Amino acid sequence: GLANADSSKKVRWKLAETWGPNFPIFGEATKNMANMVKEMSNGRFIIRIDSSNKHKSPLGIFDFVKTGQYQMGHSGSYYWKGKNFNTLFFTTTPFGMTAPEQYAWFYYGGGMELMKKVYDQYGILSFPGGNTGNQMGGWFKKEINSVEDFKGLKMRIPGFAGEVLARLGAKPTNIPSGELYTALERNTIDALEWVGPSLDLRMGFHKIAPYYYTGWHEPAAELQFMVNEKAYNALPKDLQKILTVAMKTAAYDMYAQSYHESAMNLATLEQDYPNVKMRSFPKSVMNVIWKTNQDLLKEFAAKDEMTAEILKSLSDYQKKARAWTNLSDRAYLDSFDGEGKLSTK
Amino acid sequence: MDATIKLIGKTIDAIGTLCSILLLLMIVNVFYDVIMRYFFNDVSIAMQELEWHLFAGMFMFGIAYTLKEDAHVRVDIFYDAMSKRKQAIINIFGSLVFALPITLLIFYYSWDYTLEAYNMGEGSADPGGLPHRWVVRSVIPASSAFLVLSIAYVVLTQIKTLQLGYKAKTEEQGG
Amino acid sequence: MTGIVLFAIALVCLFLGYSVAFTFAGVSLLVGIYVLGVDLFAFMPYRIMSIMENTILMAVPMFIFMGIVLQKTGLAERLLESAAKLFGSIAGGVAISTIVVGALLAASTGVVGASVVAMGVISLPVMLKNNYHQPTATGVICASGTLGQIIPPSIILIILGDVMGVPVGDLFRAAVIPGALLIVVYSLYILLLGKFKPEYCPPIQVNEKKSELIVQALKDIVPPLILILTVLGSIFSGIATPTESSAIGAVGAVILSIFYGTFSFGKINEISKETVKVTSMVFAVLIGATAFSMVFSYSGSEYIIEDFFMELPGGKWTFIALAMLAILILGFFIDFIEIAFLVVPILMPVAIALDINLVWFAILISMNLQTSFLTPPFGFSLFYLKGVAPKYLKTSTIYKGVIPFIIMQILVLLLVIFFPEQLILN
Ligand code: NA
Ligand code: NA
Repeated sequence: GLANADSSKKVRWKLAETWGPNFPIFGEATKNMANMVKEMSNGRFIIRIDSSNKHKSPLGIFDFVKTGQYQMGHSGSYYWKGKNFNTLFFTTTPFGMTAPEQYAWFYYGGGMELMKKVYDQYGILSFPGGNTGNQMGGWFKKEINSVEDFKGLKMRIPGFAGEVLARLGAKPTNIPSGELYTALERNTIDALEWVGPSLDLRMGFHKIAPYYYTGWHEPAAELQFMVNEKAYNALPKDLQKILTVAMKTAAYDMYAQSYHESAMNLATLEQDYPNVKMRSFPKSVMNVIWKTNQDLLKEFAAKDEMTAEILKSLSDYQKKARAWTNLSDRAYLDSFDGEGKLSTK
Repeated sequence: MDATIKLIGKTIDAIGTLCSILLLLMIVNVFYDVIMRYFFNDVSIAMQELEWHLFAGMFMFGIAYTLKEDAHVRVDIFYDAMSKRKQAIINIFGSLVFALPITLLIFYYSWDYTLEAYNMGEGSADPGGLPHRWVVRSVIPASSAFLVLSIAYVVLTQIKTLQLGYKAKTEEQGG
Repeated sequence: MTGIVLFAIALVCLFLGYSVAFTFAGVSLLVGIYVLGVDLFAFMPYRIMSIMENTILMAVPMFIFMGIVLQKTGLAERLLESAAKLFGSIAGGVAISTIVVGALLAASTGVVGASVVAMGVISLPVMLKNNYHQPTATGVICASGTLGQIIPPSIILIILGDVMGVPVGDLFRAAVIPGALLIVVYSLYILLLGKFKPEYCPPIQVNEKKSELIVQALKDIVPPLILILTVLGSIFSGIATPTESSAIGAVGAVILSIFYGTFSFGKINEISKETVKVTSMVFAVLIGATAFSMVFSYSGSEYIIEDFFMELPGGKWTFIALAMLAILILGFFIDFIEIAFLVVPILMPVAIALDINLVWFAILISMNLQTSFLTPPFGFSLFYLKGVAPKYLKTSTIYKGVIPFIIMQILVLLLVIFFPEQLILN
C-alpha cells in the first residue's frame, strides 16, 4: 500500500562533526551512531559523516545544521555561547553535576525541555551526544599554592571557566590546538586544560608539564548531536525513533568509553611517567574559585530571564541529586578503596 | 569608457591604501601583544582577536587591488610569448568565465552568512573577546563586491587594448 | 574520477596564462556545479572564514614585509657588497659571498624573490665584469636566493605546518640541518670549481686594505645578524610563536633601516603596498585551492587516491617515492603555493594512514619544492633573475646554470630521506 511505499524509501543524510578524521572517542561516537542507524533500519537510513578536514569549519556546525546544509551535526553546545549565551549550560557548568546526575537532569529533571526551549528558535533539535566524564583541571608548569599563583598565569582555558580564572588575575590565552604543545613547552603559556587522561596523553603534555591538577570546571562535559528540525519532521516515524535511540545509545556508550580510556591511560601515565605529580587545588584556592563562580552566575542570571530559569533548574536539581549521591556513591567510596581495603577514615 | 576606467581604478587604489594601513596596524597589533605578554605579562583576548580581524581585511580586500595591479601569479610559459591581442582575449575570457561567476556566488552566499551572525548578535565565545562577529564576516561580501569592480576594470582595459590594437592595425594598412 | 578530471582540466586551463587563483576557483565552480550542484558553494563563506581566522598563516604577510624591507631599504645590497669585497680575492670568492649572503637573507625572511633580485642586481654585474662563467654566475644566484625556502623562517614551512597540522616551530627546527647542509654543499662545489676550473670563477681586484674591509663588513653584517638571531631565537626559545616573531622581525627590519639611515615614509608605503600584493596573491591561490579541494573531496575523490596508495606494494617507501616524484614533476609546471595547498592535502590522509613522521615528511616536501623554484620552465627564481639580469643573458644560460644546483638539491633531499635521525633536529 501507500504507507509501505513511503517507509521503504531510502534516506541519505550527512552529518558534520567538529572533530578531525579518526579523532578518538568523540569521532567514534558519531560512527557508532551512524552504524546503529544503518543496521536498525536495515540499510534504509544511511548517515554519512564529514569530519573537519572535509568541511573545513569545525565551529560552523551550528550554522550548517540551522541552514540545512547538513541534516545533522556533532559538536559541543558551549561552542555556541557567542551566538546564544544560554547554550553554554547544556555542556557542563563549573561546580555542576557529575555525569550520572546530569543525565538524570536531562532525561527526567527537565533538562531536555530547557534545551529544546533554547534551540527551538533556530530550528535545531539538540540531544546529548556523549560525555567525557569529569575533566582534569589541567597541566601546570608550576604548583598552585594560593590564589596569588593565578595572578598573571597565562593559561589556555576557554569558555566560562576562563572567565572565572580571569577574575582571579589569570590571563586566558587563545592558542590553536596544533600549537599547544609547543606553546606550553616553550613557556608561551604556563598552563592549559584539555580533557583528561582519555585524550590528553596523545597530546604529550605529560612530557613537559610536571603538575596534573584535578578538575572543577567541567565535571561532566556532554557533547551534542544536532538535528535540523525540518529534516527530522520529514523522516518516517520509525526512522525518527531509530535515530533518537541510536543517538541516546551512542551518547551513553561514549561516556563508558571515556571512563575506560581514562582509567587505562591513567595506569599508563602512572607507570611510564612517575614524575608527573597529581595535585588538587588547595581548599583555600577552591573556596575563592567557587565564590567567584557563584558571583558570575548571579550576574548572568540577573541579565537574562532564560539564563535565570536554566540556572535555577540546574541548582535545584543538583541539590537533590547530590544528597542521594552523597548517601550512596560518596559514602560507599569513602568506606572502601576498591582494592580490597576498607577505608580508615 | 575612459572616465569609467579611471574612476574604478581610483576606487581600487583607495582600497589598496586601506589594505596597506590594515597591514601596518596588524604588525603593530601583533608586536604590541608580544611585548605586553613578554615584558608585562599581560594578555588580552580582544587584542589577539583584533589581529586576525585586521589580517582578514588586509588580504581579502587586497585580492581586488592585486587583480587591478596584475600581480596575481600566472603560469606564463605561453602567455608571455603571446601578442597583446591574444593576452587581452585570455584576460577577458578568464575574467568572465573563471573569475566573475565564483565571485558573484561567494557574494551571494556570504551575504546570508553575514546576516546570520548579525541577526543572532553573535560575538566571540572566549572570555573578553570581541563582539559583533558580523563585522568580520561582512568582509567577505564587501571584498567580493570590490573584486567584481576590479574584474570590470580588467575587462574594460582589455577591451580598450583590443580596440587600440585594431585601430593601430587599420591605420598601418591605410598608411 | 571527478577529482582526476577536475585536476586535469584545471592543469590544462592554467597554461592559458590567466591568474592561477581564479582559474582554479572558476574551473572548480564549473565542474562542481555540473557534478554536485550549485548548493555546494554555500560552503565557501565557511571555508573562507576559516582562512581569515587562521592565526598561523598570519605570519606569512609579516615575513614577506620583513624581506621586502631588507630589499627596498638597501640593507641586502650593503651586506652583499661588503661580503664580496671580503672574499673576493680568492677564486670563487664572489660566488661564495653570494651563498653566504643568500643564507643570511634566508635566515631573516621567508621570501625568495627579494633575495634573488637583490643578488641579481648587486652580485651578478660584479661576476660578469670579472669574466665569471655565465651559467655558473646565474646558477649560484638563483640557488642561494632560493635558500630562503628551506632555511627558517620560511613561508612554505608555515604553510605546510598549517596544512599538515604540525607545529611551525618544530618544522623550523627540523629544517636547520638540511638547510645548513645545502649551504655547505653549494660552497664546496664552488671551492672545487675554483680549484679545477679557475677560469669559471676568477678572483676579483680588491683595492681596500684588509683591516678596513673587516671593519666595514662587521658594520654591515652584525646588525642584520642580531635581527636574525632575535627572530629565530624568539621562536626557538618560545618567547613568541612564529606569528609573533614575524612581527618582531617586521618591526626589527624597520628599526634597522632607521639605524642605517635609509628609512622613509614613502618607502614604507611602497613596501606595504608590495606586501599586500604578494600576500593577496598567495591567499587568493589559497581560496581558489579551497574551492578546488571542496569539489575534490565532496565528489569522493580523496578515497580513490587513498585506496590507490594503500594498495600499492612496498607501503611507505613506494608512497614516499611516488609522492616525491609527483611533486618534483608538478614543480616544473606549477609553483610551490599550489602544490602546498592542493597536492599536500591529498597526500596527507595517506601519510597519516602509513604512520609517516609528519615533520620529516614536511621537510622532504619543502626541500622538493625548493627544487621547483629552479626547474624550468616555471621556476620563480629563474623569473626573478631574468627580470633583473642584463638583456644579453639568455634564458637558456640561466637554465643551464641551475642544473648543477638542482642536482645538489636532489642529493641533499636523498640524504634527508635516508638519514632522518641524523639530519632532522627534534
Ligand atoms: Na627563510
Ligand atoms: Na619549476
